[in-house]
Amino acid sequence: MTVAWGQGVSTQNAAAAPRSSDSGRPFVASFSNIASESGLTKRFTSGHETSKRFIIEANGSGVAMVDYDNDGRLDLFMVNGSRLDGFKGVAAPTNHLFRNSGGKLFEDVTKKAGLEQAGWGNGVAAGDIDNDGWTDLYVTYWGPNLLYRNRGDGTFEEIGVKSGTAGPAREWSSGATFIDYDRDGRLDLLVTSYLEFDPATTPLPGKSPNCEWKGMPVLCGPRGLPYGRVRLYHNLGNLQFEEVTARSGIGGLKGIYAFTPIAADLNGDGWTDLYIACDTTPSILLRNNQDGTFTDIGAEAGVAFSEHGFEQAGMGVGVGDFDQDGRLDLIKTNFSGDYPNLYRNSGDWVFEDVVIRAGLAVNPQYVAWGIGMADLDNDGLSDILQVNGHVYPEIDTASARSQESYRNPRLVYRNLGDGRFEDVSSKAGPGIAERQSSRGAAFGDIDNDGDIDVLVMNMGEAPSLLRNDLPPGSGHWVQVRLEGTRSNRSAIGAIVTIESGGRREMRTLLSQSSYISQNDLRLHFGLGKGDRIDRLRVTWPNGQTEDFRGAVVDTILHLVEGSGEARRQSSKR
Amino acid sequence: MYRAVPLLLALTLTVFCQDPADPAALSDAAQEAARANRPAEAEELWKRALKAAPGYFPALFNLGYFHYSRREFEPAVPYLERALRVRATDFNTHYLLGACYQSLERREDALASWRRALGINPRASKLLQIMIVEYGRGRYFTEAAAAATQALELTPDDLNAFLLAIKANQDAGLYPVALEIAQRAVTKYPQSARARFEFGFHLQKVGRIDEALGELKLAGSLDPNYEEPHYFLGETLQQLGRSAEAIPSLQRALAIRTDYTPARLALARALIALKRLPEALSELTEAVRRDPSHPQPHLLLSQVYFRLGDEANARRERETSLRLRRENPTILEAVQGRQFPASPGPRK
Repeated sequence: MTVAWGQGVSTQNAAAAPRSSDSGRPFVASFSNIASESGLTKRFTSGHETSKRFIIEANGSGVAMVDYDNDGRLDLFMVNGSRLDGFKGVAAPTNHLFRNSGGKLFEDVTKKAGLEQAGWGNGVAAGDIDNDGWTDLYVTYWGPNLLYRNRGDGTFEEIGVKSGTAGPAREWSSGATFIDYDRDGRLDLLVTSYLEFDPATTPLPGKSPNCEWKGMPVLCGPRGLPYGRVRLYHNLGNLQFEEVTARSGIGGLKGIYAFTPIAADLNGDGWTDLYIACDTTPSILLRNNQDGTFTDIGAEAGVAFSEHGFEQAGMGVGVGDFDQDGRLDLIKTNFSGDYPNLYRNSGDWVFEDVVIRAGLAVNPQYVAWGIGMADLDNDGLSDILQVNGHVYPEIDTASARSQESYRNPRLVYRNLGDGRFEDVSSKAGPGIAERQSSRGAAFGDIDNDGDIDVLVMNMGEAPSLLRNDLPPGSGHWVQVRLEGTRSNRSAIGAIVTIESGGRREMRTLLSQSSYISQNDLRLHFGLGKGDRIDRLRVTWPNGQTEDFRGAVVDTILHLVEGSGEARRQSSKR
Repeated sequence: MYRAVPLLLALTLTVFCQDPADPAALSDAAQEAARANRPAEAEELWKRALKAAPGYFPALFNLGYFHYSRREFEPAVPYLERALRVRATDFNTHYLLGACYQSLERREDALASWRRALGINPRASKLLQIMIVEYGRGRYFTEAAAAATQALELTPDDLNAFLLAIKANQDAGLYPVALEIAQRAVTKYPQSARARFEFGFHLQKVGRIDEALGELKLAGSLDPNYEEPHYFLGETLQQLGRSAEAIPSLQRALAIRTDYTPARLALARALIALKRLPEALSELTEAVRRDPSHPQPHLLLSQVYFRLGDEANARRERETSLRLRRENPTILEAVQGRQFPASPGPRK
């Protein structure tokens, strides 16, 4: 019998799996939280901070790292939530856009950019919907979603309703990803909704069997609440979208609490597929049938349930090729008392959860959210960074019988290169040890110094900006900025493979990932001792493969589809 | 109608023969009537006793017990509560009131009553065992673990007390404590396959895998009819990616208990991992035959068919699995959070 009885979420009572002995290798990446000194002091709001009556207060929001003004520096966008009882006499919180002014300073340009929007925001996805060279933003809400077209002059125009992507007025949308599913060169849009939420009909804490956590009354759900759904919008051009949910087969998805979607070509057929992390319901793998339709093969492929057949509380998703076998693997975060899933892609739509033998089942004490597979120490292997935070602040009260806590440290796992990871959180700097109840996390290089930094959403607090400080002499690196010409201009869905130093590393360009967040649209590769690039190959979202000449290390490269030539991009700090 | 006449006569005679002012005599007579299976008469006499002396403890307690024994929990409660106002230190009344509350699904009140009973008699080991179970049901795992530790101190020669304490600490997530108790159990009962199994299980929980594998093998050898150590040994090996090694243990578990679905599923997973798909298909077909309402064999069948390129059957099995999951959501067994005992019947 499952131990999940009587609780609103799926968990497995799993203990920490054994840790391998310390490899003894130094871990050179070190993260420090520079949010405060960078001017990132705006607090996130997501319901009440110490007591949450409804599930909408618990899920938090996503963050994005995007270069909205094309100045070569990553700017930061943060989605904000709200409170059900409003803000008496005080302005409601809004989303925030911070412009990167260089020298680790960020300027709040929210108002100037036209992004000062209140409401209950959730996730964010970035992509160039009109192929004009300026990155647009889509923000999901409890309520109509917003599509911000980037005018290219530092301001945005909200065209959600006008474009046909706002969705129903009362839907609680959680995740969204841009995807060019039909390879017509225009970015389409997939939007997930978590559940149908109505505070008037949702039971209060402790008022139904799904409103308990270890004997303590807590907010209800998701179990027992009406399911959410998934919508697909086809980009018609001219900033117009048409909903094709039913026609694409996606409308057949029922009985789901959907969170983060990722769009990537998971079987290497040149067509972008979708994977959606679902909470307490089977997660979804949508195979692109190459004819405008999708088929959910999550259960058959082994990525819908745990190895023992349990639904899991899927939150966030990371994508990468951790074992460098030339196939994209998935990592999904879950609830406490459960392990994440590390789905190793064996090809032909066969995935195997290798989380235990990979050494990633050692910290099941945390509710895990944002996650990324990135080379944090530039040694040429994809590491993992995960942010955590419980959903019930009440567990910190004296009367709680839980040994868990609401605020948790982050986790860093170093890839050992033999299919295993080791927990190096204690060696990864003070920013990793900090305790917050975190949700979204975005990965990218904010200071263009060649390593991956992380922006983290913290419930009821200011964000964390975890700057990675690699010591001089660490591994070589390269970053690539892709520009589609026949493919969508953002090149979302492209796969880049780099051969260097006898290794072959691949990355795919994602729209949303982590937990309802948006990573840097440039792809970062650590190269270790590889001081030259032997091959740089791009498989564009339209399925065409192109090799690029002139690639050099320790720089940012601009790759334009069809040019065949890698160009160095100036990298301002 | 005619049959009621002698009963009515007997009741009338008994009632009128008592001293209407003597609650003790009335209560004794009620007791007598209850013993003679004349419940209506007994109830009437106890009520008369209370009319004569509203605070007469035996009548209050007995009326409470009378209703409790007839599964009339709601009316039992006020009598027992009144009895406690008269005699607050009566262990049995607190215990019985707790039992009534439990039956009325008032778990908090039941546990409070039992805690008071335990305050009066801290050596009530049977009550402690009941409380351990109820704390566990209420997900008060820390309290269950504390009660189990207390019960173990009271009955250190009872293997069952060890097992309860191991389980309570396991539920509380106190795996090192559970392991320590399991270690004490194997020291005291070195030939107990069950104790050995618990020790092996908890060695694995805290990450001492090699030792765990040894204890699980030993547990399996101590009792040739004990399937659980073989299953868990196989499951652990399978989790570690040692699928080929897992298979003989899982087959052994199934040889002992052919309807052991979790073991058959683990065997199927090992076979799938080794790409021995026809064998996996055969095991899963057998699992479906033996346990048709279990969703997991169908889920694994969908994966096997999918890998064999048979998408139609894969989809059919997947749909069956989803339907069965909806119909019976608690059928799946979390291996690491296993119920206790995982296999049927007591085992020494």
